[in-house]
Amino acid sequence: MPCLHRHVSCSLAAGLLGLVAGLSLLWPPRAHAQTALVATPPPAANSDSAGVTAPRLVERVEPVYPPEAAPEAQGPISVALIATVSAQGSVTSVEVAQTAGQAFDDAAVTAVKRWRFEPARRGQQAVDSRIRVAIRFASPATAAPAVEAGAGAPPPAAVEPPTAAAAPTATTSAHGSPPSAAPSYAAATSVPGGPPAAAGLAAAPAAPPPPTAANASSATHPEPTAPQPPFEAGAHARVHAPSRGTSDFQLEPGKLVSVPHENAGAWLKLAPGILLTNEGGEGHAEQVFMRGFDAREGQDIEFSAGGVPINQAGNLHGNGYADTHFIIPELVTSLRVQEGPLDPRQGNFAVAGSADYELGLLQRGLTAKQTLGSFGTSRTLLLWGPSGESTGTYTGVDLYQTQGFGQNRDGRRGSLLTQYEGRSGVHTYRVGATAYLASFHTAGVLREDDYEQHRVGFYDTYDPRQGEDASRYSVSAELDSHYDQMIVRHQVFGIVQPMRLRENFTGFLLDPQEPSQSPHAQRGDLIDLHNDANTVGARGSVQVSDRALGQPQRLEVGYFGRADFVDSTAMRVEAATGHPYHTDADLSSTLGDLGLYADVNLRANDWLALRGGLRGELLTYDVLNRCAVQSVSHPSRTNPPGDASCLSQQDFGAYREPTQRVSTAGAAQSPRASLVVGPLSGVSGSIGYGRGVRSVDPIYISQDAKTPFASADSVEAGLSLERKLGEIDVSARSTLFQTRVDHDLVFSQSAGRNLLGGASTRTGSANTLRATGRFFDLAGNLTYVHAVFSDTGLLIPYIPDWVVRFDGVLFSDQLLRAEQARGHAARGSLATGATFVAPRPLPQGERGDSLFTLDLNATVGWSMLELGVSCTNLLDTQYRLGEYNYASDFHSAAFPTLVPVRHFSAGAPRAVYVTLTVHLGGEP
Amino acid sequence: MRVARSSVLVWLCLTCACSGTTGGQRVVFSAVAVGAAPNFGKTLEFDNSVGYHVTLTRARLHVGAIYLNQSVASSGAQETACVLPGIYVAEVFGPLEVDALSAHEQSFPYDGEGNRVAAKAGELWLAGGDIRHPADINDVSTAPVILDAAGTAEKNGASFPFEAQLTIGENRAIASSDPAYPGANPICKQRIVTPIAVNLTPTNGGKLVLHVDPRGWFSGVDFALLAQSSKNPLLYRFADAPTQAADVSLYGALHSRSGVYRFTWE
Repeated sequence: MPCLHRHVSCSLAAGLLGLVAGLSLLWPPRAHAQTALVATPPPAANSDSAGVTAPRLVERVEPVYPPEAAPEAQGPISVALIATVSAQGSVTSVEVAQTAGQAFDDAAVTAVKRWRFEPARRGQQAVDSRIRVAIRFASPATAAPAVEAGAGAPPPAAVEPPTAAAAPTATTSAHGSPPSAAPSYAAATSVPGGPPAAAGLAAAPAAPPPPTAANASSATHPEPTAPQPPFEAGAHARVHAPSRGTSDFQLEPGKLVSVPHENAGAWLKLAPGILLTNEGGEGHAEQVFMRGFDAREGQDIEFSAGGVPINQAGNLHGNGYADTHFIIPELVTSLRVQEGPLDPRQGNFAVAGSADYELGLLQRGLTAKQTLGSFGTSRTLLLWGPSGESTGTYTGVDLYQTQGFGQNRDGRRGSLLTQYEGRSGVHTYRVGATAYLASFHTAGVLREDDYEQHRVGFYDTYDPRQGEDASRYSVSAELDSHYDQMIVRHQVFGIVQPMRLRENFTGFLLDPQEPSQSPHAQRGDLIDLHNDANTVGARGSVQVSDRALGQPQRLEVGYFGRADFVDSTAMRVEAATGHPYHTDADLSSTLGDLGLYADVNLRANDWLALRGGLRGELLTYDVLNRCAVQSVSHPSRTNPPGDASCLSQQDFGAYREPTQRVSTAGAAQSPRASLVVGPLSGVSGSIGYGRGVRSVDPIYISQDAKTPFASADSVEAGLSLERKLGEIDVSARSTLFQTRVDHDLVFSQSAGRNLLGGASTRTGSANTLRATGRFFDLAGNLTYVHAVFSDTGLLIPYIPDWVVRFDGVLFSDQLLRAEQARGHAARGSLATGATFVAPRPLPQGERGDSLFTLDLNATVGWSMLELGVSCTNLLDTQYRLGEYNYASDFHSAAFPTLVPVRHFSAGAPRAVYVTLTVHLGGEP
Repeated sequence: MRVARSSVLVWLCLTCACSGTTGGQRVVFSAVAVGAAPNFGKTLEFDNSVGYHVTLTRARLHVGAIYLNQSVASSGAQETACVLPGIYVAEVFGPLEVDALSAHEQSFPYDGEGNRVAAKAGELWLAGGDIRHPADINDVSTAPVILDAAGTAEKNGASFPFEAQLTIGENRAIASSDPAYPGANPICKQRIVTPIAVNLTPTNGGKLVLHVDPRGWFSGVDFALLAQSSKNPLLYRFADAPTQAADVSLYGALHSRSGVYRFTWE
């Protein structure tokens, strides 16, 4: 118990560290700084002194840059509009207050007419209002690459809300950047000064400054009073779930996209406590550590992309295996990371949390990118977003190949992602497809003693047969219908995912002579695993909004269903011949998952909201074990089983079929709730509780098992701070959490995957800090976790106590003003990403090495061209990305090495990549 | 001030970081073997259980490796596989030719490795062990001399000068009599002496001592049953195969789980 107290204290200290760091930045160290914090008035929300609340934008259609105007356009062009918003929230009329020519005026009016608002209100009553809207069109020629604009550092004006006509003016952007800095949106709204409100209409006050994308990503106020960040604001965009508090991260990398990220999975590192390792090679799913969970390749994290699930239920390599390599990083517009199971939308596998990628293409037109670099690496990327279509319409093709560093790390993969997003009346529909192919080799692990004795090199391999062939094909269709007070969403999807994996963690250890086998020596432990998964499913929701207590209240009821048809085998392969000699498993599984949830967002007032609800999950299993009998106590003398793996006899040689079917089902109810409070401007807090479930591996299913899943109970409390210091947006947040899991997963080297273990408890703190200014975007996070087995109090191996991550970028869109005067400003950025991981606990009381990596990227761009040079592992540190401690026998000694020793998978040495990007056509 | 405040917090956090353990501790230790302490010279004299006064002038044992494991020592035949991954506490690799007549410590060529976990059983691997020639424990193609002994046994005035050089290879293979268990008698079972009861916990920097008492090898040998190898000089030789009772007795004693081999920790 004292130990627990100590680690709670540590977590508190870690939390305090994060908050103090944030406070130190947010508030000057003057004596009255804290007083000012307390005395800060509650957010004005959107209520003026007369009790009239401004209309709130809930749907926005991006204006389309007039194609006919593009060639002549030089720099940004603004159109000011006066729009009348009805008491029903629709735009009933639009007047041009400041023209920019017919083409631009028409484009702006056409878009704004399709906007929808939560109407202005006087008291409880909705009233008509007039607002002033400024639309800024940035010339395609001056626009920065779409991907840079994607996120965290939003285009200055793009996030500015429409403001009431009588509002005070705000003529500068959120960052004060010049208009040309607005890089990627077809058009952007800004808030220039405007004329007084038209007579006869409510003079709605100005909405408060909206969150920038940077702080929007961390906003935890009960209800955003400003329009959503750019990706959410489009009429076509999906409606995001309201924040669950300080552990809910809506990540929009923004300029941080410049930080070297090897794949889409790496974006996870913007959330605190995330460590990614990979002993499986270029196309193998990243092993994710989140919030004190060794989630391996996704077993404890629910992954999805555009609503389509990524986790593979029943994958023999790991139930919930999630490979995100098929996602083209440049098509990621945002990523929601919910740490902890606090949102009823989170389904199976959301034990540590969930990650949902939102895909789109911000830079319209054609983007071609070619990368060449170390170790024979090349990458060719083509992105196309037709002009006039929304960002949800895109096609991307990504081809990658490398010879890899060291031995046996060659790989090649290709990915195609395409989606069409259209609108018909109140309906928005999306039809998408993906195809992904990967084939690569893997070095696997090395014994530390072999490396120290120079028997192997740091980047060598023991078994060159290790590798993987994986592919993924999916189609999806989605329909969103936006009615006055209701949003209805349905989505269906189908996924095919064949995969073959070959890995050897133990060398020659797991094949001892059994009495019933013919005499043999150790034949080798290479696992040849094949998993063929076909998935169909659907999800949907109905969201109803209304007002009560003078506040908007929301109820969402949703469903999720999927069926997985999985065929999987795992065999051991003889080193000398390459022939399989033993079948470890041969399963054919039909898995069902049906989830229903209800989620409410109840607001008592401007600063207090209760969010949460209940999720019910029904999991069904129908497993045909085609290798049900692998040994017999008393085999037949006349028909001995010999070396066969899947036997057709039982005790004393009695015949039986080698197959056996088992089926079972289990249901779980998972309550989840968050209380979010924000009585002080820029300060909000949250407390939350939630239960998550993880279905079990089909291989563990026994007939009518009572609870075929594991559950996790998580509690947390957090504090979030946001402040604008001059032109710098600063946000910080800190969360204390504790999670108890009744059946945890522990890595088994002999199985090459996580196996079920006992109960566990994790206590810790996650902290983030982000500062965004005109020319920089800095983000850091720090997480401390104390993860122990509940019965023994011993640490859970492999889970790092401390993870620290820093991402930062300096950028300018006007490197050469003279060039800008001629129409094209050069732009550039310098970005860095650094990760520090404290020594990880390993089995048998061992500790791994600390890990520190530093990546760097520099880009310069002009007009349609951009050149980038990135360097990963700048310090060329020879680091151990994955560390283990177990027994293996790679013939390091004359006899089997049977006691646990350190093993590692090598991290990549320094590598340099040069990328040339060309943008053609489209709006910026 | 702000920096100082943050530094204090960082220090506080780091001091309580990386605490706790997953259990156990990796240890590295030395390993030696010692023979029975002779009273004088380099010979060992004793009386065996069948009435012979034996004088050993040479007693060498080839040790390939030592393993300590967590299994509880029990008598009876070894029913399981020779190698059971997951139970091992410590290992020491040879090879080491132990002079069983010398009380001096004879070091194994490599330090032992293991974990700080209580060991309940020891295994003595009587096989090759040359790092330059890694071989499976079931590989019968190589079979070094495991026991090399010489001496004289006397009883009732009769003298039996003897020599023994035993190997464990094809000569010791036992064919399975049950077709359902073709692999029931792998040679590894002949080559591994186990379980030898121990009760020790390896510690870092400690020393594992293997005590070899050669008297046990000959305690039940009736030397009169040995085949005469030569008359001049008179010499009796143990056959390197289970042909005579005396041969079987010595070979069996070589695998004694008690009375011959003992492990201690210093």
